[in-house]
Amino acid sequence: MKFMSRYQVKIGNLNVIIDDSVLYTNSDEWIKVEGKNARIGITDFAQKQLKDIVGVDLPKKDSNISKNGTLAVLESVKATAEVYSPIDGKVVETNERLLDEPELINKEPYDNGWIAVIEMNNFNKEEFLTHNQYVENISKRK
Amino acid sequence: MYNVPLHDLHQKLNASFGEFAGWNVPMIYSSTMEEHVAVRKSVGIFDISHMGRLKITGKDSLNLLEKAFTKKISKTKENFMSGPTLALNEYARVIDDEMWYKINDEEWLAVPNAATRERMINHFKQISEKNKYNVEIKDLTFDYVLLALQGPESQNIMDKLGASWTSGLKPLEFRLNENIRDSNVFLISRSGWTGEDGFEIWATPKDAEKLYNYILKEGVKPIGIAARDTLRIEMGFVLGGNEYGEDPLKYPCALSLKYGMGAIDWEKTGYIGEESLRSCRKEGLRWIRIGIEMKKNFARFIPRHGYKILIDDIEVGWVTSGTYSPILEKGIGMGYIDTRYSIVGEPITISDGKGRSGEAKISEFPLIKKK
Repeated sequence: MKFMSRYQVKIGNLNVIIDDSVLYTNSDEWIKVEGKNARIGITDFAQKQLKDIVGVDLPKKDSNISKNGTLAVLESVKATAEVYSPIDGKVVETNERLLDEPELINKEPYDNGWIAVIEMNNFNKEEFLTHNQYVENISKRK
Repeated sequence: MYNVPLHDLHQKLNASFGEFAGWNVPMIYSSTMEEHVAVRKSVGIFDISHMGRLKITGKDSLNLLEKAFTKKISKTKENFMSGPTLALNEYARVIDDEMWYKINDEEWLAVPNAATRERMINHFKQISEKNKYNVEIKDLTFDYVLLALQGPESQNIMDKLGASWTSGLKPLEFRLNENIRDSNVFLISRSGWTGEDGFEIWATPKDAEKLYNYILKEGVKPIGIAARDTLRIEMGFVLGGNEYGEDPLKYPCALSLKYGMGAIDWEKTGYIGEESLRSCRKEGLRWIRIGIEMKKNFARFIPRHGYKILIDDIEVGWVTSGTYSPILEKGIGMGYIDTRYSIVGEPITISDGKGRSGEAKISEFPLIKKK
């Protein structure tokens, strides 16, 4: 599951990888639409802030989740962070590999570090940031 | 906010910086967990120049130190550190835990914590004025860089640097004005705060930079302050602001710290806080510090500062520090528990107070068992 196009931007002293084939939220999740489903993870910028992720609480499969509800909890050495669902829907798949290898989120945030797949109740592209808008968003934060 | 003198060097090493007690310190170079494991299994180099460096001289030096600390400083041998001891306030709450380096009876050095350096200087000045002591208190913090080479391979690195004479240094022994290659070292001691063998080195920024680079050239990993915290938690070492502090409403009596290492000497009299400390002992403790180890099913839950400790849904204590131990591969920490529940091995629940909790057990220090 490799995405097509990646580039790097410098945010403060961080080299942040941006994937131009996904959409973003201002709470640092990415979302990739796959038919009626959406695959969700956290951005490279987010994992670089958290560093050393040592644990992940995944949502229950088949559970319903609402937009901005807690999808997962990430335990990093630095802090405990919640991942918010960018959409309403039902959790149809979770990345069980993360239970033993949470560091995959640090190593491959856009690939094997994905968190869950949600079957979307609806989808409105306008609610999300494009990769350009996301870069602008995180540039203002530092 | 202060930068450490070798700030630019750390920046070149790609450190990410963070604030600690008013200092902008190198927190992480690569990954805290990797850095932590390097110190446990091989060796690493810290820059801990944010720590205070004090010098006390004069004929009443020892009188001052005896007044301020809970152990008999007079027992310290020349060219040795005193071992950790506590400076208390009148409520028997801890101002700082520190060690004193004895050059001679009238010349002493210490490394107070960054957050309490100024408080300790004022404390010493107040005691001296009140008792009309003949002492001089000097703050050397900005004169020297403080490096810590830590890990089981530390001696090998010293050998490679042509300083194999350091193998003769016993734990807590130090030497002044030595050379390591062409770098002049003001002080080198066999000590540290990681539970591993190692050396702490005071040198001027110019000399320290040379030495730091020599050490890096030997393949030693730079280690950030974040790993210093995770290493000390594994050992059960306490940190001001977490396990202790001066406010009697926020922190239990110093005795509750269960500090060990001979930090409190009951034979000793006449130090500040003694009366309150003795009444803690007489009345018995309400709270006691315990180690926390998460159970297997909650191995990836980190007990964090401020989380609650529960037994059968009753709040019986609070977490003061916690992290993930890459050695034990589980969340670990420490906290205070009502002494009536303090039984090693007993199950406890750690709760963030917002609905997330994990199962743990009460454990002894150090949390990692050293060979």
